[in-house]
Amino acid sequence: MEHSDPTKVAILGAGRGGRALLDLLHQIPSIEIVGITDRDPAAPGLQRARTLHIPVTTNVPDLIGNHGVQLIMDVTGNPEMETYLKAHKPPTADILSGSASRLLWKLIQHESKLEAELLQAEKLAGIGSFAAGIAHDINNPLQLILGLAENLAEERDVAAVHEQALDIIEAVKRTSAICRDLTRYSRRASPHEDVSVSINAKLDEALKIARYASSFHDIEMLKQYQPGAAVKGNPDELLHVFVNLITNAVHAMEQAGGTLTLETRVLGGQVDIRISDTGCGIAPEKIPEIFEPFFTTKAPGKGTGLGLYNVNTIVSKMHGQITVESKVDQGSTFTLTFPHAQPAGEGSP
Amino acid sequence: MSDFNSGFFVGGEACNGRVLVVDDEPDIRKVVKMTLQKAGYAVLEAENGEKAIEVINSGENRLMLDVMICDIRMPKVNGAEAIAYFRSNYPHVPLIVLTGFPDTDMATSFLRQGVVDYLVKPVEGEKLRSAVARAMEQRELARL
Ligand SMILES: Nc1ncnc2c1ncn2[C@@H]1O[C@H](COP(=O)(O)OP(=O)(O)O)[C@@H](O)[C@H]1O
Ligand SMILES: [Mg+2]
Repeated sequence: MEHSDPTKVAILGAGRGGRALLDLLHQIPSIEIVGITDRDPAAPGLQRARTLHIPVTTNVPDLIGNHGVQLIMDVTGNPEMETYLKAHKPPTADILSGSASRLLWKLIQHESKLEAELLQAEKLAGIGSFAAGIAHDINNPLQLILGLAENLAEERDVAAVHEQALDIIEAVKRTSAICRDLTRYSRRASPHEDVSVSINAKLDEALKIARYASSFHDIEMLKQYQPGAAVKGNPDELLHVFVNLITNAVHAMEQAGGTLTLETRVLGGQVDIRISDTGCGIAPEKIPEIFEPFFTTKAPGKGTGLGLYNVNTIVSKMHGQITVESKVDQGSTFTLTFPHAQPAGEGSP
Repeated sequence: MSDFNSGFFVGGEACNGRVLVVDDEPDIRKVVKMTLQKAGYAVLEAENGEKAIEVINSGENRLMLDVMICDIRMPKVNGAEAIAYFRSNYPHVPLIVLTGFPDTDMATSFLRQGVVDYLVKPVEGEKLRSAVARAMEQRELARL
Protein backbone atom coordinates (compact mmCIF):
# COMPACT_ATOMS: atom_id res chain seq x y z
CA MET A 1 0.00 0.00 0.00
CA GLU A 2 3.02 2.33 0.25
CA HIS A 3 2.55 4.00 -3.15
CA SER A 4 -1.21 4.27 -2.84
CA ASP A 5 -1.73 6.47 0.18
CA PRO A 6 -4.98 8.21 -0.63
CA THR A 7 -4.89 11.74 -1.96
CA LYS A 8 -6.26 14.13 0.66
CA VAL A 9 -8.94 16.40 -0.72
CA ALA A 10 -10.82 19.34 0.81
CA ILE A 11 -14.09 20.50 -0.76
CA LEU A 12 -15.07 24.16 -0.40
CA GLY A 13 -18.73 24.74 -1.17
CA ALA A 14 -21.51 22.30 -0.43
CA GLY A 15 -24.24 23.37 -2.83
CA ARG A 16 -25.33 21.06 -5.63
CA GLY A 17 -21.84 21.11 -7.14
CA GLY A 18 -20.20 20.28 -3.84
CA ARG A 19 -22.63 17.50 -3.19
CA ALA A 20 -22.09 15.98 -6.64
CA LEU A 21 -18.33 16.11 -6.10
CA LEU A 22 -18.75 14.47 -2.73
CA ASP A 23 -20.84 11.67 -4.21
CA LEU A 24 -18.32 11.09 -6.94
CA LEU A 25 -15.09 11.34 -4.95
CA HIS A 26 -16.31 9.33 -2.02
CA GLN A 27 -16.67 6.29 -4.29
CA ILE A 28 -13.01 6.46 -5.32
CA PRO A 29 -10.80 4.48 -2.93
CA SER A 30 -7.63 6.44 -3.77
CA ILE A 31 -9.19 9.66 -2.53
CA GLU A 32 -9.75 10.69 1.07
CA ILE A 33 -12.09 13.60 1.68
CA VAL A 34 -10.73 15.32 4.78
CA GLY A 35 -13.62 17.74 5.05
CA ILE A 36 -16.20 19.92 3.38
CA THR A 37 -17.28 23.45 4.20
CA ASP A 38 -20.03 25.92 3.39
CA ARG A 39 -21.29 29.18 4.83
CA ASP A 40 -24.87 27.86 4.74
CA PRO A 41 -25.37 25.25 7.47
CA ALA A 42 -28.35 23.81 5.53
CA ALA A 43 -26.40 23.28 2.28
CA PRO A 44 -27.33 19.92 0.73
CA GLY A 45 -23.71 18.78 0.51
CA LEU A 46 -23.28 19.20 4.27
CA GLN A 47 -26.23 16.94 4.96
CA ARG A 48 -24.88 14.34 2.58
CA ALA A 49 -21.42 14.62 4.24
CA ARG A 50 -22.91 13.88 7.66
CA THR A 51 -24.57 10.69 6.45
CA LEU A 52 -21.25 9.65 4.92
CA HIS A 53 -19.35 10.48 8.14
CA ILE A 54 -17.20 13.06 6.40
CA PRO A 55 -16.12 15.97 8.64
CA VAL A 56 -18.11 19.17 8.19
CA THR A 57 -16.62 22.50 9.21
CA THR A 58 -17.07 26.26 8.85
CA ASN A 59 -13.42 26.92 9.53
CA VAL A 60 -11.78 27.27 6.12
CA PRO A 61 -8.25 28.15 7.36
CA ASP A 62 -8.22 25.06 9.59
CA LEU A 63 -9.55 22.79 6.85
CA ILE A 64 -6.97 23.77 4.25
CA GLY A 65 -4.09 24.34 6.67
CA ASN A 66 -4.05 21.55 9.20
CA HIS A 67 -4.97 18.25 7.59
CA GLY A 68 -2.21 17.58 5.09
CA VAL A 69 -4.55 18.55 2.27
CA GLN A 70 -3.07 17.90 -1.17
CA LEU A 71 -5.93 19.12 -3.33
CA ILE A 72 -8.37 21.93 -2.63
CA MET A 73 -11.50 21.86 -4.73
CA ASP A 74 -13.27 25.19 -4.70
CA VAL A 75 -16.84 25.03 -5.95
CA THR A 76 -18.10 28.03 -4.01
CA GLY A 77 -18.20 30.13 -7.18
CA ASN A 78 -17.06 32.99 -4.98
CA PRO A 79 -14.23 35.19 -6.42
CA GLU A 80 -13.18 36.26 -2.90
CA MET A 81 -12.55 32.62 -2.04
CA GLU A 82 -10.30 32.31 -5.07
CA THR A 83 -8.25 35.30 -3.96
CA TYR A 84 -8.12 34.04 -0.39
CA LEU A 85 -6.89 30.61 -1.50
CA LYS A 86 -4.15 32.08 -3.72
CA ALA A 87 -2.79 33.92 -0.70
CA HIS A 88 -3.21 31.28 1.99
CA LYS A 89 -2.98 27.81 0.54
CA PRO A 90 -0.28 25.55 1.93
CA PRO A 91 2.63 25.24 -0.51
CA THR A 92 2.12 21.48 -0.96
CA ALA A 93 -1.54 21.79 -1.98
CA ASP A 94 -2.94 22.23 -5.48
CA ILE A 95 -6.05 24.27 -6.14
CA LEU A 96 -8.87 23.51 -8.50
CA SER A 97 -11.07 26.55 -8.81
CA GLY A 98 -12.63 29.08 -11.17
CA SER A 99 -13.18 27.85 -14.71
CA ALA A 100 -11.45 24.49 -14.03
CA SER A 101 -13.90 23.63 -11.30
CA ARG A 102 -16.84 24.83 -13.40
CA LEU A 103 -15.68 22.52 -16.19
CA LEU A 104 -15.48 19.63 -13.73
CA TRP A 105 -18.99 20.41 -12.49
CA LYS A 106 -20.27 20.37 -16.07
CA LEU A 107 -18.63 17.00 -16.73
CA ILE A 108 -20.21 15.56 -13.62
CA GLN A 109 -23.62 16.87 -14.62
CA HIS A 110 -23.17 15.43 -18.07
CA GLU A 111 -22.27 12.05 -16.66
CA SER A 112 -25.27 11.95 -14.39
CA LYS A 113 -27.48 12.85 -17.35
CA LEU A 114 -25.98 9.99 -19.37
CA GLU A 115 -26.58 7.70 -16.45
CA ALA A 116 -30.26 8.67 -16.33
CA GLU A 117 -30.54 8.12 -20.10
CA LEU A 118 -29.04 4.67 -19.81
CA LEU A 119 -31.42 3.78 -17.02
CA GLN A 120 -34.41 4.87 -19.04
CA ALA A 121 -33.18 3.13 -22.19
CA GLU A 122 -32.79 -0.14 -20.37
CA LYS A 123 -36.23 0.18 -18.81
CA LEU A 124 -37.88 0.90 -22.15
CA ALA A 125 -36.05 -1.98 -23.82
CA GLY A 126 -37.51 -4.27 -21.16
CA ILE A 127 -41.05 -2.99 -21.56
CA GLY A 128 -41.30 -4.65 -24.98
CA SER A 129 -41.54 -7.96 -23.18
CA PHE A 130 -44.53 -6.74 -21.16
CA ALA A 131 -46.99 -6.93 -24.06
CA ALA A 132 -48.13 -10.51 -23.44
CA GLY A 133 -48.53 -9.93 -19.71
CA ILE A 134 -50.43 -6.68 -20.14
CA ALA A 135 -52.76 -8.11 -22.76
CA HIS A 136 -53.50 -11.05 -20.50
CA ASP A 137 -54.14 -8.91 -17.45
CA ILE A 138 -56.37 -6.44 -19.25
CA ASN A 139 -58.30 -8.83 -21.44
CA ASN A 140 -59.20 -11.20 -18.62
CA PRO A 141 -61.15 -8.59 -16.62
CA LEU A 142 -62.62 -7.31 -19.91
CA GLN A 143 -63.96 -10.80 -20.58
CA LEU A 144 -65.56 -10.81 -17.16
CA ILE A 145 -67.05 -7.36 -17.70
CA LEU A 146 -68.43 -8.24 -21.13
CA GLY A 147 -69.88 -11.56 -19.99
CA LEU A 148 -71.53 -10.05 -16.94
CA ALA A 149 -72.91 -7.09 -18.87
CA GLU A 150 -74.41 -9.41 -21.49
CA ASN A 151 -76.00 -11.36 -18.71
CA LEU A 152 -77.26 -8.24 -16.94
CA ALA A 153 -79.18 -7.24 -20.05
CA GLU A 154 -81.42 -10.24 -19.43
CA GLU A 155 -81.08 -10.78 -15.70
CA ARG A 156 -84.37 -10.52 -13.79
CA ASP A 157 -83.14 -11.35 -10.29
CA VAL A 158 -82.41 -8.07 -8.50
CA ALA A 159 -79.95 -9.63 -6.06
CA ALA A 160 -77.99 -11.14 -8.95
CA VAL A 161 -77.99 -7.81 -10.78
CA HIS A 162 -76.59 -6.13 -7.71
CA GLU A 163 -73.85 -8.70 -7.22
CA GLN A 164 -72.79 -8.70 -10.85
CA ALA A 165 -72.68 -4.92 -11.01
CA LEU A 166 -70.28 -4.96 -8.06
CA ASP A 167 -68.15 -7.59 -9.84
CA ILE A 168 -67.96 -5.30 -12.85
CA ILE A 169 -66.84 -2.36 -10.71
CA GLU A 170 -64.11 -4.48 -9.15
CA ALA A 171 -62.93 -5.66 -12.57
CA VAL A 172 -62.75 -2.10 -13.87
CA LYS A 173 -60.69 -1.06 -10.86
CA ARG A 174 -58.29 -3.94 -11.40
CA THR A 175 -57.84 -2.98 -15.03
CA SER A 176 -57.14 0.66 -14.30
CA ALA A 177 -54.63 -0.33 -11.61
CA ILE A 178 -52.59 -2.08 -14.30
CA CYS A 179 -52.29 1.11 -16.32
CA ARG A 180 -51.41 3.07 -13.20
CA ASP A 181 -48.63 0.64 -12.19
CA LEU A 182 -47.17 0.58 -15.65
CA THR A 183 -47.15 4.29 -16.25
CA ARG A 184 -45.53 4.80 -12.89
CA TYR A 185 -42.84 2.31 -13.78
CA SER A 186 -42.16 3.46 -17.31
CA ARG A 187 -41.81 7.16 -16.56
CA ARG A 188 -38.37 8.64 -16.09
CA ALA A 189 -37.18 8.41 -12.49
CA SER A 190 -38.25 11.69 -10.95
CA PRO A 191 -35.20 13.62 -9.83
CA HIS A 192 -36.69 14.53 -6.47
CA GLU A 193 -34.73 14.52 -3.24
CA ASP A 194 -34.26 11.25 -1.42
CA VAL A 195 -37.14 10.17 0.78
CA SER A 196 -37.75 7.31 3.17
CA VAL A 197 -39.00 4.35 1.12
CA SER A 198 -40.78 1.39 2.64
CA ILE A 199 -38.93 -1.60 1.26
CA ASN A 200 -41.64 -4.21 1.70
CA ALA A 201 -44.21 -2.20 -0.22
CA LYS A 202 -41.66 -1.43 -2.94
CA LEU A 203 -40.80 -5.14 -3.32
CA ASP A 204 -44.50 -5.96 -3.73
CA GLU A 205 -44.87 -3.24 -6.34
CA ALA A 206 -41.84 -4.60 -8.20
CA LEU A 207 -43.31 -8.07 -8.09
CA LYS A 208 -46.44 -6.85 -9.85
CA ILE A 209 -44.37 -5.22 -12.59
CA ALA A 210 -42.07 -8.22 -12.99
CA ARG A 211 -45.10 -10.44 -13.56
CA TYR A 212 -45.83 -8.56 -16.76
CA ALA A 213 -42.29 -9.01 -17.97
CA SER A 214 -41.97 -12.74 -17.46
CA SER A 215 -44.17 -15.67 -16.84
CA PHE A 216 -44.07 -16.86 -13.23
CA HIS A 217 -44.99 -20.26 -14.55
CA ASP A 218 -44.00 -22.93 -11.98
CA ILE A 219 -42.49 -20.44 -9.56
CA GLU A 220 -43.28 -20.52 -5.88
CA MET A 221 -43.13 -17.28 -3.90
CA LEU A 222 -41.81 -16.92 -0.41
CA LYS A 223 -41.88 -13.58 1.42
CA GLN A 224 -40.09 -12.98 4.68
CA TYR A 225 -40.58 -9.31 5.39
CA GLN A 226 -39.58 -7.52 8.53
CA PRO A 227 -42.14 -4.77 9.16
CA GLY A 228 -40.82 -1.22 9.07
CA ALA A 229 -37.83 -1.86 6.81
CA ALA A 230 -37.07 1.48 5.16
CA VAL A 231 -34.17 3.12 3.34
CA LYS A 232 -33.48 6.61 2.08
CA GLY A 233 -33.47 6.96 -1.67
CA ASN A 234 -35.37 7.66 -4.85
CA PRO A 235 -38.51 5.45 -4.91
CA ASP A 236 -38.52 5.13 -8.72
CA GLU A 237 -34.92 4.04 -8.80
CA LEU A 238 -35.45 1.50 -6.03
CA LEU A 239 -38.41 0.08 -7.92
CA HIS A 240 -36.17 -0.26 -10.95
CA VAL A 241 -33.53 -2.11 -8.90
CA PHE A 242 -36.05 -4.59 -7.52
CA VAL A 243 -37.76 -5.22 -10.87
CA ASN A 244 -34.37 -6.02 -12.36
CA LEU A 245 -33.30 -8.42 -9.62
CA ILE A 246 -36.66 -10.20 -9.54
CA THR A 247 -36.78 -10.51 -13.32
CA ASN A 248 -33.28 -11.98 -13.36
CA ALA A 249 -34.27 -14.47 -10.66
CA VAL A 250 -37.36 -15.53 -12.60
CA HIS A 251 -35.38 -15.88 -15.82
CA ALA A 252 -32.88 -18.10 -14.00
CA MET A 253 -35.73 -20.46 -13.03
CA GLU A 254 -37.37 -20.48 -16.44
CA GLN A 255 -36.33 -24.02 -17.35
CA ALA A 256 -37.17 -25.95 -14.23
CA GLY A 257 -39.25 -23.65 -12.03
CA GLY A 258 -38.26 -23.08 -8.42
CA THR A 259 -38.69 -20.77 -5.47
CA LEU A 260 -38.31 -17.00 -5.42
CA THR A 261 -37.61 -15.68 -1.94
CA LEU A 262 -37.87 -12.03 -0.98
CA GLU A 263 -36.50 -11.20 2.42
CA THR A 264 -35.99 -7.99 4.37
CA ARG A 265 -34.20 -7.61 7.67
CA VAL A 266 -33.34 -4.68 9.89
CA LEU A 267 -30.30 -5.25 12.04
CA GLY A 268 -27.89 -2.88 13.75
CA GLY A 269 -28.91 0.23 11.82
CA GLN A 270 -28.80 -1.61 8.51
CA VAL A 271 -31.40 -3.01 6.16
CA ASP A 272 -30.66 -6.23 4.32
CA ILE A 273 -32.75 -7.02 1.28
CA ARG A 274 -32.31 -10.48 -0.12
CA ILE A 275 -33.63 -11.75 -3.43
CA SER A 276 -32.97 -15.45 -3.90
CA ASP A 277 -33.78 -17.96 -6.58
CA THR A 278 -33.24 -21.68 -6.97
CA GLY A 279 -32.38 -21.32 -10.64
CA CYS A 280 -29.42 -22.00 -12.92
CA GLY A 281 -26.84 -20.11 -10.84
CA ILE A 282 -23.73 -18.26 -12.04
CA ALA A 283 -20.30 -19.79 -12.59
CA PRO A 284 -17.74 -18.33 -10.10
CA GLU A 285 -15.54 -16.93 -12.88
CA LYS A 286 -18.53 -15.08 -14.37
CA ILE A 287 -19.57 -13.33 -11.18
CA PRO A 288 -17.22 -10.34 -11.61
CA GLU A 289 -18.55 -9.89 -15.16
CA ILE A 290 -22.28 -9.75 -14.48
CA PHE A 291 -22.16 -6.11 -13.37
CA GLU A 292 -20.31 -5.06 -16.53
CA PRO A 293 -22.43 -3.17 -19.05
CA PHE A 294 -23.70 -5.37 -21.90
CA PHE A 295 -22.74 -8.65 -20.27
CA THR A 296 -25.65 -10.96 -20.92
CA THR A 297 -26.23 -14.65 -21.46
CA LYS A 298 -29.75 -14.05 -22.71
CA ALA A 299 -31.10 -13.98 -26.24
CA PRO A 300 -31.36 -10.59 -27.93
CA GLY A 301 -34.69 -9.03 -27.07
CA LYS A 302 -34.72 -10.80 -23.75
CA GLY A 303 -31.65 -9.31 -22.13
CA THR A 304 -29.74 -6.08 -22.63
CA GLY A 305 -26.94 -6.81 -20.18
CA LEU A 306 -27.58 -3.41 -18.64
CA GLY A 307 -29.77 -4.52 -15.76
CA LEU A 308 -27.16 -5.24 -13.13
CA TYR A 309 -24.95 -2.42 -14.32
CA ASN A 310 -27.77 0.01 -13.60
CA VAL A 311 -28.62 -1.76 -10.35
CA ASN A 312 -25.04 -1.27 -9.24
CA THR A 313 -25.03 2.41 -10.24
CA ILE A 314 -28.18 3.11 -8.23
CA VAL A 315 -27.09 1.10 -5.21
CA SER A 316 -23.72 2.82 -4.93
CA LYS A 317 -25.36 6.18 -5.41
CA MET A 318 -27.53 5.29 -2.40
CA HIS A 319 -24.41 4.33 -0.44
CA GLY A 320 -25.53 0.75 -0.34
CA GLN A 321 -23.74 -2.46 -1.12
CA ILE A 322 -24.62 -5.40 -3.28
CA THR A 323 -23.24 -8.91 -2.88
CA VAL A 324 -23.87 -12.11 -4.80
CA GLU A 325 -23.72 -15.69 -3.68
CA SER A 326 -24.33 -18.30 -6.30
CA LYS A 327 -23.90 -21.97 -7.04
CA VAL A 328 -24.34 -23.40 -10.50
CA ASP A 329 -27.60 -25.36 -10.76
CA GLN A 330 -28.57 -24.47 -7.19
CA GLY A 331 -29.41 -20.80 -7.40
CA SER A 332 -28.33 -17.29 -6.54
CA THR A 333 -28.85 -14.79 -3.79
CA PHE A 334 -28.44 -11.06 -4.34
CA THR A 335 -28.15 -9.12 -1.08
CA LEU A 336 -28.50 -5.36 -0.86
CA THR A 337 -27.41 -3.57 2.28
CA PHE A 338 -28.39 0.02 3.06
CA PRO A 339 -28.34 2.23 6.12
CA HIS A 340 -31.73 1.94 7.81
CA ALA A 341 -33.99 4.99 7.55
CA GLN A 342 -36.85 6.03 9.75
CA PRO A 343 -40.03 4.67 8.10
CA ALA A 344 -42.03 7.51 6.55
CA GLY A 345 -44.96 8.78 8.55
CA GLU A 346 -43.62 7.63 11.91
CA GLY A 347 -42.15 9.85 14.59
CA SER A 348 -38.45 10.24 15.28
CA PRO A 349 -36.78 7.51 17.39
CA MET B 1 -83.06 -20.69 -27.19
CA SER B 2 -85.47 -23.41 -28.27
CA ASP B 3 -83.09 -24.66 -30.94
CA PHE B 4 -80.72 -25.82 -28.18
CA ASN B 5 -83.30 -27.89 -26.40
CA SER B 6 -82.83 -31.09 -28.29
CA GLY B 7 -80.13 -33.26 -26.77
CA PHE B 8 -79.54 -35.66 -23.93
CA PHE B 9 -79.87 -35.14 -20.21
CA VAL B 10 -77.33 -34.71 -17.44
CA GLY B 11 -78.55 -34.74 -13.84
CA GLY B 12 -82.11 -34.18 -14.96
CA GLU B 13 -81.31 -31.08 -17.05
CA ALA B 14 -81.36 -30.68 -20.77
CA CYS B 15 -77.81 -30.97 -22.06
CA ASN B 16 -76.52 -30.05 -25.46
CA GLY B 17 -73.06 -31.30 -24.62
CA ARG B 18 -70.25 -31.20 -22.11
CA VAL B 19 -67.66 -28.46 -22.31
CA LEU B 20 -64.45 -28.28 -20.29
CA VAL B 21 -63.11 -24.78 -19.60
CA VAL B 22 -59.41 -24.61 -18.77
CA ASP B 23 -58.34 -21.23 -17.40
CA ASP B 24 -56.36 -20.21 -14.34
CA GLU B 25 -58.71 -17.31 -13.63
CA PRO B 26 -61.83 -18.28 -11.69
CA ASP B 27 -63.55 -15.16 -13.10
CA ILE B 28 -63.11 -16.39 -16.64
CA ARG B 29 -64.34 -19.89 -15.82
CA LYS B 30 -67.35 -18.35 -14.08
CA VAL B 31 -68.34 -16.10 -16.93
CA VAL B 32 -67.75 -18.70 -19.66
CA LYS B 33 -69.83 -21.13 -17.66
CA MET B 34 -72.59 -18.56 -17.34
CA THR B 35 -72.53 -17.90 -21.08
CA LEU B 36 -72.59 -21.54 -22.12
CA GLN B 37 -75.10 -22.77 -19.58
CA LYS B 38 -77.61 -20.41 -21.16
CA ALA B 39 -77.22 -22.38 -24.34
CA GLY B 40 -77.84 -25.64 -22.52
CA TYR B 41 -74.28 -26.90 -22.18
CA ALA B 42 -72.95 -28.60 -19.07
CA VAL B 43 -69.67 -26.90 -18.14
CA LEU B 44 -66.75 -28.53 -16.33
CA GLU B 45 -63.82 -26.49 -15.04
CA ALA B 46 -60.08 -26.96 -14.65
CA GLU B 47 -57.60 -24.34 -13.46
CA ASN B 48 -54.61 -25.65 -15.39
CA GLY B 49 -53.48 -28.21 -17.94
CA GLU B 50 -52.64 -30.79 -15.32
CA LYS B 51 -56.10 -30.57 -13.73
CA ALA B 52 -57.65 -30.70 -17.19
CA ILE B 53 -55.94 -34.00 -17.88
CA GLU B 54 -57.29 -35.33 -14.58
CA VAL B 55 -60.79 -34.21 -15.48
CA ILE B 56 -60.62 -35.74 -18.93
CA ASN B 57 -59.40 -39.05 -17.58
CA SER B 58 -61.89 -39.28 -14.77
CA GLY B 59 -64.72 -41.79 -15.22
CA GLU B 60 -67.38 -40.94 -17.72
CA ASN B 61 -65.72 -37.75 -19.00
CA ARG B 62 -63.41 -39.87 -21.07
CA LEU B 63 -66.30 -40.73 -23.29
CA MET B 64 -68.65 -37.87 -22.71
CA LEU B 65 -66.51 -34.77 -23.01
CA ASP B 66 -67.45 -32.94 -26.18
CA VAL B 67 -65.45 -29.71 -26.40
CA MET B 68 -62.52 -28.05 -24.65
CA ILE B 69 -61.92 -24.33 -24.26
CA CYS B 70 -58.36 -23.58 -23.28
CA ASP B 71 -56.35 -20.51 -22.26
CA ILE B 72 -52.65 -20.27 -23.17
CA ARG B 73 -50.88 -18.28 -20.47
CA MET B 74 -51.32 -20.33 -17.30
CA PRO B 75 -49.18 -21.57 -14.43
CA LYS B 76 -48.06 -25.23 -14.19
CA VAL B 77 -48.28 -27.04 -17.54
CA ASN B 78 -48.43 -24.06 -19.82
CA GLY B 79 -51.29 -23.68 -22.25
CA ALA B 80 -49.33 -24.21 -25.46
CA GLU B 81 -47.87 -27.47 -24.14
CA ALA B 82 -51.26 -28.53 -22.84
CA ILE B 83 -52.87 -27.86 -26.21
CA ALA B 84 -50.26 -29.88 -28.08
CA TYR B 85 -50.80 -32.68 -25.57
CA PHE B 86 -54.59 -32.64 -25.95
CA ARG B 87 -54.38 -32.55 -29.71
CA SER B 88 -52.20 -35.63 -29.86
CA ASN B 89 -53.84 -37.61 -27.04
CA TYR B 90 -57.50 -36.67 -27.47
CA PRO B 91 -57.77 -35.83 -31.16
CA HIS B 92 -61.50 -36.58 -31.11
CA VAL B 93 -62.21 -33.75 -28.62
CA PRO B 94 -62.41 -30.46 -30.56
CA LEU B 95 -60.53 -27.61 -28.94
CA ILE B 96 -61.13 -23.86 -28.86
CA VAL B 97 -58.36 -21.50 -27.76
CA LEU B 98 -59.55 -18.53 -25.71
CA THR B 99 -56.64 -16.24 -24.94
CA GLY B 100 -55.89 -12.74 -23.75
CA PHE B 101 -53.00 -12.31 -26.12
CA PRO B 102 -53.54 -12.08 -29.87
CA ASP B 103 -50.51 -13.68 -31.49
CA THR B 104 -50.71 -14.50 -35.18
CA ASP B 105 -47.83 -16.99 -35.16
CA MET B 106 -49.34 -18.89 -32.29
CA ALA B 107 -52.81 -18.81 -33.82
CA THR B 108 -51.46 -20.25 -37.08
CA SER B 109 -49.62 -23.00 -35.26
CA PHE B 110 -52.72 -23.94 -33.25
CA LEU B 111 -55.01 -23.94 -36.26
CA ARG B 112 -52.49 -26.19 -37.99
CA GLN B 113 -52.76 -28.55 -35.04
CA GLY B 114 -56.47 -28.78 -35.71
CA VAL B 115 -57.75 -26.28 -33.20
CA VAL B 116 -61.33 -25.28 -34.12
CA ASP B 117 -61.05 -21.62 -33.28
CA TYR B 118 -58.64 -19.08 -31.84
CA LEU B 119 -60.67 -16.51 -29.90
CA VAL B 120 -59.22 -13.43 -28.26
CA LYS B 121 -60.70 -12.18 -25.01
CA PRO B 122 -62.97 -10.37 -24.58
CA VAL B 123 -65.26 -12.41 -26.81
CA GLU B 124 -69.04 -11.87 -27.07
CA GLY B 125 -71.29 -14.62 -25.77
CA GLU B 126 -72.80 -15.09 -29.22
CA LYS B 127 -69.41 -15.66 -30.82
CA LEU B 128 -68.35 -18.09 -28.13
CA ARG B 129 -71.58 -20.05 -28.40
CA SER B 130 -71.32 -20.31 -32.17
CA ALA B 131 -67.70 -21.49 -31.90
CA VAL B 132 -68.84 -24.16 -29.45
CA ALA B 133 -71.71 -25.13 -31.75
CA ARG B 134 -69.25 -25.56 -34.63
CA ALA B 135 -67.00 -27.64 -32.41
CA MET B 136 -69.99 -29.77 -31.45
CA GLU B 137 -70.62 -30.51 -35.13
CA GLN B 138 -67.04 -31.73 -35.45
CA ARG B 139 -67.54 -33.86 -32.38
CA GLU B 140 -70.65 -35.42 -33.90
CA LEU B 141 -68.72 -36.20 -37.07
CA ALA B 142 -65.98 -37.85 -35.01
CA ARG B 143 -68.61 -40.07 -33.38
CA LEU B 144 -69.92 -41.33 -36.72
N1 LIG C 1 -30.36 -14.55 -10.56
C1 LIG C 1 -29.52 -14.90 -11.54
N2 LIG C 1 -29.26 -16.20 -11.79
C2 LIG C 1 -28.41 -16.56 -12.78
N3 LIG C 1 -27.77 -15.69 -13.58
C3 LIG C 1 -27.98 -14.38 -13.38
C4 LIG C 1 -28.85 -13.92 -12.36
N4 LIG C 1 -28.87 -12.56 -12.41
C5 LIG C 1 -28.02 -12.21 -13.40
N5 LIG C 1 -27.50 -13.30 -14.00
C6 LIG C 1 -26.54 -13.31 -15.12
O1 LIG C 1 -26.03 -12.01 -15.29
C7 LIG C 1 -26.27 -11.54 -16.62
C8 LIG C 1 -26.44 -10.05 -16.62
O2 LIG C 1 -27.64 -9.67 -15.97
P1 LIG C 1 -28.28 -8.27 -16.29
O3 LIG C 1 -27.24 -7.24 -16.15
O4 LIG C 1 -29.53 -8.12 -15.48
O5 LIG C 1 -28.61 -8.34 -17.83
P2 LIG C 1 -29.71 -9.22 -18.59
O6 LIG C 1 -30.70 -9.70 -17.57
O7 LIG C 1 -30.30 -8.25 -19.55
O8 LIG C 1 -28.97 -10.34 -19.25
C9 LIG C 1 -27.47 -12.34 -17.09
O9 LIG C 1 -27.53 -12.44 -18.49
C10 LIG C 1 -27.22 -13.69 -16.42
O10 LIG C 1 -26.30 -14.45 -17.15
MG1 LIG D 1 -31.63 -8.46 -16.12
